[in-house]
Amino acid sequence: MSIVNLRHLQPGARIGLSDGSTAEVVSNPLDGIWVFARYLSSPRDASRVGTEEMIFAQDIVEIR
Amino acid sequence: MATGRRYRGGLVDLGTGLISREIFVNEEIYAEELDRVFTRAWLFVGHESQISKPGDYVVSCMGEESVILCRDREERVHVFLNSCRHRGMKVCRYDEGNTPVFTCPYHGWSYATDGKLVGVPYFREAYHGKLDRSQFGLVEVAQLATYKGSVWATWDPKAPGFLEYLGEFRRYLDLTLDGWDGRDGGTEVLGGVQKWLIPCNWKFPAENFSGDSYHNISHRSVDMVGIGPSGSGRRDTRERLIARRLQICFPERGHQTGLYVLPKDQPTPPAYQQSPVVSEYFRHCEEERRRRRGEWGRVTGSPGEVFPNTALHPRQPRTFAVWHPRGPHQTEVWRWYLVDSDSPPEVKDFLRQYYIRYSGPAGLTEQDDMENWNYAHAASRGTIARRYPYTYEQGMGFEVESYEWDGLRLPGSVLDITEAKSSEHNLRNLYRRWAEFMDAASWDELATWRTPAP
Repeated sequence: MSIVNLRHLQPGARIGLSDGSTAEVVSNPLDGIWVFARYLSSPRDASRVGTEEMIFAQDIVEIR
Repeated sequence: MATGRRYRGGLVDLGTGLISREIFVNEEIYAEELDRVFTRAWLFVGHESQISKPGDYVVSCMGEESVILCRDREERVHVFLNSCRHRGMKVCRYDEGNTPVFTCPYHGWSYATDGKLVGVPYFREAYHGKLDRSQFGLVEVAQLATYKGSVWATWDPKAPGFLEYLGEFRRYLDLTLDGWDGRDGGTEVLGGVQKWLIPCNWKFPAENFSGDSYHNISHRSVDMVGIGPSGSGRRDTRERLIARRLQICFPERGHQTGLYVLPKDQPTPPAYQQSPVVSEYFRHCEEERRRRRGEWGRVTGSPGEVFPNTALHPRQPRTFAVWHPRGPHQTEVWRWYLVDSDSPPEVKDFLRQYYIRYSGPAGLTEQDDMENWNYAHAASRGTIARRYPYTYEQGMGFEVESYEWDGLRLPGSVLDITEAKSSEHNLRNLYRRWAEFMDAASWDELATWRTPAP
């Protein structure tokens, strides 16, 4: 699996997370470690859907 | 006034005017002053014009500590220790920029611009959601003050407020921070901050800017070259010929400055003669300043020092400098150049060129100074050299507490050097206050003005 380069993630990009969730990038501080994203789905915790969180780079597994 | 103070067995002996070289070169004294001086005094951090928008930040220093000066999303100004609460890594390694968060590159802890810890990798998994993030925000200074655009901070919650710390010296600080035409504030930083290292103790430049007019001989070559804004000398100082030249200090505060006071009804001599646009700008400003400030408009500033390590240059060039300690034998100089924010572009450009001709690592006058400080320090480190104290006896006992001249009373302890040519009054004041900080257990002892002498 290739490493996602966070610096290329634009607002609106859809990312897949290590827990199976999907989120949409809201903003990217370009620090290479975090992006702000809104959960679109979260198989393990449905309450996260619609919420915005800082997503850690190591949790981002792919761009969807 | 503790004129006879003898800090630690006579290292600073103001009764005789002798000060030991140890306070400049001794490793233990240096470590002690980082704690006793730099964690308790108010220190200059930067200028609001450097962080005009939410998310703007600059990295600055307080003593040896790296700090972040920033403006949060609510436009509040903060100064934080630039060190992650997890393992201490710098969370900001750029000089300046704009960001929504400061992220530690080591393990990824992330802080909002208000200092709150907002991102902890594997918070749910590794910490099981139990880490109390509210306890691990960035360390913020105990007190912060913005004054006419300048930003100051202290680590000591018991230090007096900044304006109390300044006392009446505030009026002299205003000579650097107010508009040339006498309006309150209105300055901005011109260009970036110049930063460079010099091999000497920080007190050498602090002493020099406190009012060492005795060393003018070492700038003679610059005067001869004529780097000044009218093409002669290094500054336009025709007022030297008609004004009273004063050294003014505040013994209970540790601040000091030089000053010129023009005679009543005597206009400020023309300046900036190399450019008609600039010359006219300053002529107009001086006229306005006299109109706005009245008698106080006769006062023009000369180099000074806010205790402990912030130097003022109110005019020609108009700058702040901070002497950051970097060990007993090294100082990192940071110099900010100020202009009226609404001055015409021609004026800013003219001043920029003059400022860098005069100050900074490439400035001719500053090079003269650095050569003196660096070699004086190097020649004071040896075992033999340390046995021989420096003398600061000029003008001892000639200061006046209620100085008045030609209808203008000036606050502070004043020594008139118009005829004397030079004095070390202000230099002694710097070391008096330094010794008090080194001796005092807390601000209860340092805020002596709160307890009038019986």
